[in-house]
Amino acid sequence: MKALLKFFYLPVVLLALTFTLCSSFLMNEKEKMAFPYKASGLTERQAATHLLNRFTYGPKPGDVDAVIKIGLEKWFQQQLNGNLPDDSLKSILSQFDAIKLSNAQANETFPKAASVLRMAIKEGYIDKDSVNKGDKKDYREKLGAYIHDKGIQPPKELFRQFISQKIYRAAYSNNQLQEVLTDFWFNHFNVSITKNQCAIYIPAYERDIIRPNALGKFSDLLLATAKSPAMLFYLDNFSSSGTNEQMNPQINEALMNNIKDPNKKEALRKLQANKKNQGLNENYAREVMELHTLGVDGGYTQTDVTQAAKVLTGWTVYPIDENGPGAGYKKVIERIGENKLAERGFVHEGDFMFAPNRHDTSEKSVLGKHFALNGGYQEGVDLLEMLAHHPSTAKFISKKLAVRFVSDNPPQSLIDKMAKTFLDKNGDIKQILITMVNAPEFWSKEALTEKTKSPFELAISSLRALDATITQPYQVYNWLDKMGQKMYFYQAPTGFPDKGQYWINTGALLNRMNFGLALTANKIPGIKVDLAALNRHHEPESSSAALLTYGKLIMPERDLSKSIDRLTPMLNDPELANKIGQAADKATPRATMDNSDSDMMMGQAPIPNSSKMNRKKANSFGDNTMLAQVVGVIIGSPEFQRR
Amino acid sequence: MTSRRGFLKAGGLALFGIGLGGVPTFVAQAAEMIKAPGLFKRRKTLVCIFQRGAMDGLMAVTPFNDEYLKAARPTLFISAAKNPNGKSLIDLDGKFGMHPSMRAFESVFKEGRLAVVHGIGSPNSTRSHFDAQDYMESGTPFNKGTASGWLNRAVGILGHDAATPFQAVSLTSSLPRSFYGDHPSVAISNLNDFALQMKGNPMGANMAAKSFEDLYDQTSSELLKDTGKESFEAIKMLKKVDTKTYKPENGAIYPNSALGNSLKQIAQLIKLNLGLEVAFAESGGWDTHFNQGTENGIFARNVNDLSESMMAFWTDMGTLQDDVTVMTMTEFGRTVKQNGTGGTDHGRASCNFILGNDVKGGKVHGLVNSLAVENLEDGRDLKVTTDFRSVFSEVVDRHLNINKDNILFPDWNGNHIGMMRS
Repeated sequence: MKALLKFFYLPVVLLALTFTLCSSFLMNEKEKMAFPYKASGLTERQAATHLLNRFTYGPKPGDVDAVIKIGLEKWFQQQLNGNLPDDSLKSILSQFDAIKLSNAQANETFPKAASVLRMAIKEGYIDKDSVNKGDKKDYREKLGAYIHDKGIQPPKELFRQFISQKIYRAAYSNNQLQEVLTDFWFNHFNVSITKNQCAIYIPAYERDIIRPNALGKFSDLLLATAKSPAMLFYLDNFSSSGTNEQMNPQINEALMNNIKDPNKKEALRKLQANKKNQGLNENYAREVMELHTLGVDGGYTQTDVTQAAKVLTGWTVYPIDENGPGAGYKKVIERIGENKLAERGFVHEGDFMFAPNRHDTSEKSVLGKHFALNGGYQEGVDLLEMLAHHPSTAKFISKKLAVRFVSDNPPQSLIDKMAKTFLDKNGDIKQILITMVNAPEFWSKEALTEKTKSPFELAISSLRALDATITQPYQVYNWLDKMGQKMYFYQAPTGFPDKGQYWINTGALLNRMNFGLALTANKIPGIKVDLAALNRHHEPESSSAALLTYGKLIMPERDLSKSIDRLTPMLNDPELANKIGQAADKATPRATMDNSDSDMMMGQAPIPNSSKMNRKKANSFGDNTMLAQVVGVIIGSPEFQRR
Repeated sequence: MTSRRGFLKAGGLALFGIGLGGVPTFVAQAAEMIKAPGLFKRRKTLVCIFQRGAMDGLMAVTPFNDEYLKAARPTLFISAAKNPNGKSLIDLDGKFGMHPSMRAFESVFKEGRLAVVHGIGSPNSTRSHFDAQDYMESGTPFNKGTASGWLNRAVGILGHDAATPFQAVSLTSSLPRSFYGDHPSVAISNLNDFALQMKGNPMGANMAAKSFEDLYDQTSSELLKDTGKESFEAIKMLKKVDTKTYKPENGAIYPNSALGNSLKQIAQLIKLNLGLEVAFAESGGWDTHFNQGTENGIFARNVNDLSESMMAFWTDMGTLQDDVTVMTMTEFGRTVKQNGTGGTDHGRASCNFILGNDVKGGKVHGLVNSLAVENLEDGRDLKVTTDFRSVFSEVVDRHLNINKDNILFPDWNGNHIGMMRS
């Protein structure tokens, strides 16, 4: 009987086994999404809100319902695909002509002041001799005419358009995750407008290098950034070259034999090694390991840095125009002939160029990987591929993603899972994110609202929560600066630190509160909020009712009971306006909280006797000022600083 | 350690002098009295300037007789020999010469108020900006886990927590690592903006302030709660003084630069008698990998801004000069040899400047050996011969009277080098 059973079962078992194998093979292709939020006691609404808080720039009114309707997993998949239609955004962005320009076009349209003059002289608008002497007015007029005729604009205009589109995209795009990740990767591969040489190439860098690869493979991102003019200029690699002078070995030996002191011998050897460094610039080689891939504790040494710098010599920018950088190379290329470049070992891809005559041809070794003589362009690619797939990189990038999306101190268990996917799935960013959201750690109660919003996140989440109409996005940028995040101007290659402690300090916090008050009072030009419409024109009957209603609208699924308890007595106090009025009476002129002296005096003057009317007005809830103020307080409140 | 909350409890009693919570008027008045400006005993102030990006100490203060340096820097070496355009090094002692763009420092160096420490740096040989700055600011070069900054610990030792929110102020848009920690410290980038602003509606501003203060007081995030309290204390105090009409004294002219503006506001805070003891400012652009220039160029502009800003501050201080010491710091120095692109790469030791009447000035302290390759660290960099902690410790010891090195620099037990007057 037993034997029979065995016989009977065997095919079934085999079949089951085959099935399992097949499906696990399929699983290997793509991890299935199933978010374990119920295990940590979250409701579907809470989970949907958490997703919105982490993968968008904050929920708009109605977003939580929409995510639930679509289904959490499906919504996330849509965000990973990043191809939802965005027609209205596109039509808004069409007003910005400068952000569509290629690097060469941007260089032509927004030349640096010095090149404008050079071009004007070259094209005969200005007599060369008149520059330093003679009629200044005449000279200025001529230069002005040239600028006008050629349609030349100051670079500031390019950055104004660039920053404006950034704000529009963050506020309005349906593909929110793509925008969030574009921001993440830009910051990871930071370049800065503060560095003059690279500034003009930054809009194209974000558009062509970062955004298209934000949900792709890490190695593609790394390689693309390494070849971009923005990065090549920012971290100086464009200028790094080898010299390849070899010392005559016989002279070398004779010299060595004459020296007895072993220390001096070693020093001479080092000196000779250094000789070959002429032309070398280590800046990019160091940062690519420290900041872009392995992390500072990723196991490399100073020797690895120098060797990697040699590997990357010759990686430079293709001459962009006659007056632009590397213009001298233009002649060299003309002499060789564009069609013969490849034959001579050059590589020309878009704005990138590998120049073999600048490349250090010697043997090198980085992190134990050997690079043979004359490796040319390919050894740089091999180096970056090795770095992109290194276990230290997997850990470093996984941790950084977890810090961005989970908490300032993410659990090691989560980082390990993500790093494993990083290595198993060839650095596929989507897969790493799926592993993260499938992990219970992502949904733990401690992780909810644990992240402090950056100033950009605060500003955009406010605009979204209040359904603001934006006509002058650059106005928001001025506030970002005040709150401590002057985007695209962060000078160091580390990018902005992603932790609450960096963002929250006395000055910045105060400006966050001021931002909330200014926004809701419609005091930011070009940004309009309609608070009444937000609550479908149902007027709250009191300040405390307004606090409750708008608190829920702006921060769905958040426990605001403590905030409300704390403020309600004050808001319900019938004497509120009187008290405030009296306080203002007592205040010395300097003690008012106003910015300009004249305004202060105007605010002061009517209070002593004739201010009863004003007070009444402030207290009655029919007045929009009171509602604006209550909502302003919500935006500036500690709860809204978290996500 | 004194709880930072000690003072804040007292401060919380009085909100803009309005007894909204029903606090008896006399209590509110008493609290106001205590915190009224001008009542603080004048204290000594240490001003720290962090030069972010790693200053090339060998170009700032050059051992100009060193033939190895001359050879290693064919296009970056500046000579001390007088030349007609006046752009030669300022000879300090026959051995070291200061960059010609630091002409402003010449008089204070000669008067013995400005000292240089050369060969200063960290015992940790990292050449990462981020790590090196972190180590220098935490004061623990081998421990990444140190949560607090050394200046915050210094503030703790001074122990005047209960007095003023302006004991430690950083004129930066974010709080520097040196200020992280348990003791109150504020970051303000512009004193004039530091208020809740509702144009033409002071009543509204007051109510908003009261609401925010209540909300930040109850939040579960410690970071937001503590920072919120500090902000409100600072607002209340600044409200009482005039920050808008500052005029530097004694003909001081501050450069219109980030550093110049920061130092000007530090001078302002000192003169307002708000109890400032530790101030912090930053200077950027020192990471000169590419075309750093010689008599002119990026580096020349940077040192010019540094020296002009510091000297404007010093002049502005006038009769208060005894109460201030200014110290610069930078995370590391740069390679002895110039790189292939007219710049210098990350190195090890650099130099720093200390200005004040407690300083043993007119001297280049520290040790710089000949720059022969065998004397260099890893065959390439100026050797660190003075631990930065030794200088920081001596400066706070002499100027602020703090000598608890076990708290300031827990894993250090070196000696002072005698760069301050005893």
